[in-house]
Amino acid sequence: MLTHTQSDGSLTPDRVVVVGAGGFVGSAIVNGLGTAGIPTVAVARAQVDLLAADASEKLSALLVPGDVVVFVSAVAPAKTSAQLLTNLTMARAGAVAFAGVPPSHLLYISSDAVYVDDANPVTEASPVAPSTIHGMMHAARELIFRTEARAPFAVLRPTLIYGAADPHGGYGPNRFRRQAASGDPITIFGEGEERRDHVAVEDVARLVVRMIRHGSVGVLNAVTGVSTSFHDIAHMVAANFTPAAVVQPVSRPGPRPHLLHRFFDITSCYQAFPDFHFERLPDGLARVHREVAAANGKGTVRVGAS
Amino acid sequence: MNRLPAIAYLGMTHLGLCSAVAAASKGFTTVGFDTDPGLVARLEKGELPVVEPGLDALFQEHRSRLSFAADSAPLGACDVLYVAPDVPTDDAGQSDYTTLDRLLTLAVGSARPGATIVVLSQVAPGYTRARQLPERPLYYQVETLVFGRAVERATSPERFMVGSSDPSKPLPPVLRTYLEAFGCPILPMRLESAELAKISINCCLVASITVANTLAELCESIGADWSEIAPALKLDKRIGQFAYLSPGLGIAGGNLERDLATVIRMSEGHGTEAGLVRAFARNSAHRRNWALRTLHTALLADKPDARLGVLGLTYKEDTHSVKNSPALALIRQLAPWPVQVYDPVVQASAARHPAVTGAHSALEAARDVDALVVMTPWAEFRSLDPAALAGAMRGRLVLDPFRVLDGRAALAARLDYRTLGVS
Repeated sequence: MLTHTQSDGSLTPDRVVVVGAGGFVGSAIVNGLGTAGIPTVAVARAQVDLLAADASEKLSALLVPGDVVVFVSAVAPAKTSAQLLTNLTMARAGAVAFAGVPPSHLLYISSDAVYVDDANPVTEASPVAPSTIHGMMHAARELIFRTEARAPFAVLRPTLIYGAADPHGGYGPNRFRRQAASGDPITIFGEGEERRDHVAVEDVARLVVRMIRHGSVGVLNAVTGVSTSFHDIAHMVAANFTPAAVVQPVSRPGPRPHLLHRFFDITSCYQAFPDFHFERLPDGLARVHREVAAANGKGTVRVGAS
Repeated sequence: MNRLPAIAYLGMTHLGLCSAVAAASKGFTTVGFDTDPGLVARLEKGELPVVEPGLDALFQEHRSRLSFAADSAPLGACDVLYVAPDVPTDDAGQSDYTTLDRLLTLAVGSARPGATIVVLSQVAPGYTRARQLPERPLYYQVETLVFGRAVERATSPERFMVGSSDPSKPLPPVLRTYLEAFGCPILPMRLESAELAKISINCCLVASITVANTLAELCESIGADWSEIAPALKLDKRIGQFAYLSPGLGIAGGNLERDLATVIRMSEGHGTEAGLVRAFARNSAHRRNWALRTLHTALLADKPDARLGVLGLTYKEDTHSVKNSPALALIRQLAPWPVQVYDPVVQASAARHPAVTGAHSALEAARDVDALVVMTPWAEFRSLDPAALAGAMRGRLVLDPFRVLDGRAALAARLDYRTLGVS
C-alpha cells in the first residue's frame, strides 16, 4: 500500500540523512544509498545520542530543510517496559527535530511485529495489534512520526532480517551459522517446525532506496513472501559448511510459541516495484556464509572439523 | 380496467432496455424513455446498445408494442412507470444516484394521477422512503439482472419482490396485473426489506464464491482438486445445483463489491457486526492477484527479460465491457515486461501498458512468450490446442485460472499448466 509521488523512480535527493546509521540495518541502508550514488549523511550515536537531553537540538542542527530522512535508530529487540520507553524517547527526539526542520520525505524502519498474530497471510492492510512490547514499540513510533513529523511519511516493516554483520544472536540463521562455525551442532527447538519469513538486510536497503527514488508514502512490508521452517533453515546453514554441520533438535526452553507460522502476501510489493525481487533464502544464506568466511580470512571449513 | 396497463421504463441502459423488451414480450404496450435523443433514435432504428443473448430477436419479435421517447409526453399515458437506469459506482463501491434521481423526478412530474411509479434500479436501503411523496407513494422492486442472462432473467423471473411503505395494503391493480403476467410468485414487503433483499441475495452469492475461493486456494497447497469437490457439493440439497462454486479471481464485477461496501457502511452507521462481509472483501482482494503472484514466483523473479502473453481483456466473456477487468488490472502491473494481447472484441489499446502489442489471434499472442495467461474465458479459447501453444511459445508457463484449456492436454504438451483450485 505504497503510493509513489514519482512513478518512474527518478527522484534524486540532494542528500539522505540516515538516523541510526551505526546499526546493523542502518549501516546496510547507508551502503545501499552509496551504491545507488545518493549523497548520504550517516548519523550514529557518536553524532547524536537520541537519549540525551539536547538530542532534538543536535539532530535539528544536522538537518537542512528538504532532507530525506531515514529513521532506523532503535534499541532492539525491545523486551522490557524500560526498553519500550527508551525507544519512545528516541523517537520523540526525532519527531521534535523533524517538526522543526521538516524533511521532504521521512521513512521509518519499523517491524512486522506490529501486526496481529493471527493475520496469516499478513499484508500491509492487516490489523496493527502487536502482542509484544517490541511490536508495540514500533507501532507507537510509527504513530509518533505520522502524527508529529511534518513530512510525507512512509513506513517499511521488515520481517526477520539476516546478514553477515548481524550482531544479534537470536534464534535463527545468524545463531545457526555461529554455532556451526564454532564447531557446535546447530540446535533447533523441538522439530524446528515454526515457519518464518527471513529477509536479507541488503534487500531491506534496496527497498529503502526504491522508496526514496519514488517518493513513496504509505506502508510496505519488507518480506520475501516465502516462509521457511527453522528446521529447513538450519539445514540450509549446515550445508554451507564442509563437512555439513550437524543439526540437533533440543527441548524447547518454554512452551511452543502460540504464533506457529507466519506467512505474508507480498502482492503490494509486486505492485509497488514490479521488477524488484528478493534474494532467495538459500542463496542469501550461502552469500552471507561466503562473506563471513572472507571477512575472517577463512574458508568454509568448520572449526574443529577433521 | 379492461385493457392491459401501459408500461414505461425510464433509462435505456442494460436494466431498463432488457426489462422493457421483456414487458413487450408479455403483451404490454411499452415505452422506453431516455433523456439521450441519440440513444432513442438508435433504439427506434433497432440498434441496441447492449449485447445479450436473445435480446435482438425478442426486440424484433415484439417491436410493434415498443416505442421509444426522449421527451416525457408519452409517459403521461402510462399506468406503471419503472425508473430503471443502471446506477454507476465509484472505486469505493459508492453509488452515484444522480441519473436515477433526475429520472425519478421526471417520472413524478410526468405521470398522470393514479399511475404507479416503481424504482427498479439498485439502491441502498432507505433510498426510496427518503423520496416518498404524500400524494404519490413510490414502490421499490428488486432487479435481478445477470449480465449475459438478462433476457432470461427478465422474461422468466423466479419471483418478484416489491417494497411499499405499507405492505399490508394490496399492490395497485395495474402493477399487480403487470407482474402477474410473468407467472411467478409476488412477495410484497417493506421498502427497506426489498432494498436489502437485493443486497442479501448478493451476499449469499458472495458467500458461496468466497467458500469456493478459500478452499480452492487450500486445494492448491495440499494436493486436492476443487473441481472434484464442487460437483459433490452441488448434489447436496442444502447447497444446490446452481450454487456459485466455481473458483475465480475474487468476486468479479463491481456490483457485488458495491453491496459488500453498502453492508459495511450501514453496519458502521448502526453498530452492527459485519466482520464476515469484511472477510469476503479481504479474500476477494487476495485472490484477485493470483495471476500476478504466480507470474512473479514462477517466472519473473528469475527472468527479467521475460515476454508475456495475455488472452482476453474484457471483464468476462461475451461482453465488450472492460470495467473492473482483471486482465487490464494485471497488465497494468506488468509494466517492465513486453506484453502481447489478444481479445476477440477489444483492442490492445484498452490496456494501459508502455509496451503492449495487439495480436490477431490467440496463437499469435502466444508466439515467443515465456508465459501465457488466459484472463477471460472466451469460448474460442476453449478450442486452442495446447500442443500448438507449446509450439508457439518460447517458455512453458501457462496460467489458466478459469480452466478454459484442456488441462490434461496442456500437461501432455509439457506445459507448466497452472489453474485455480488444484495443486
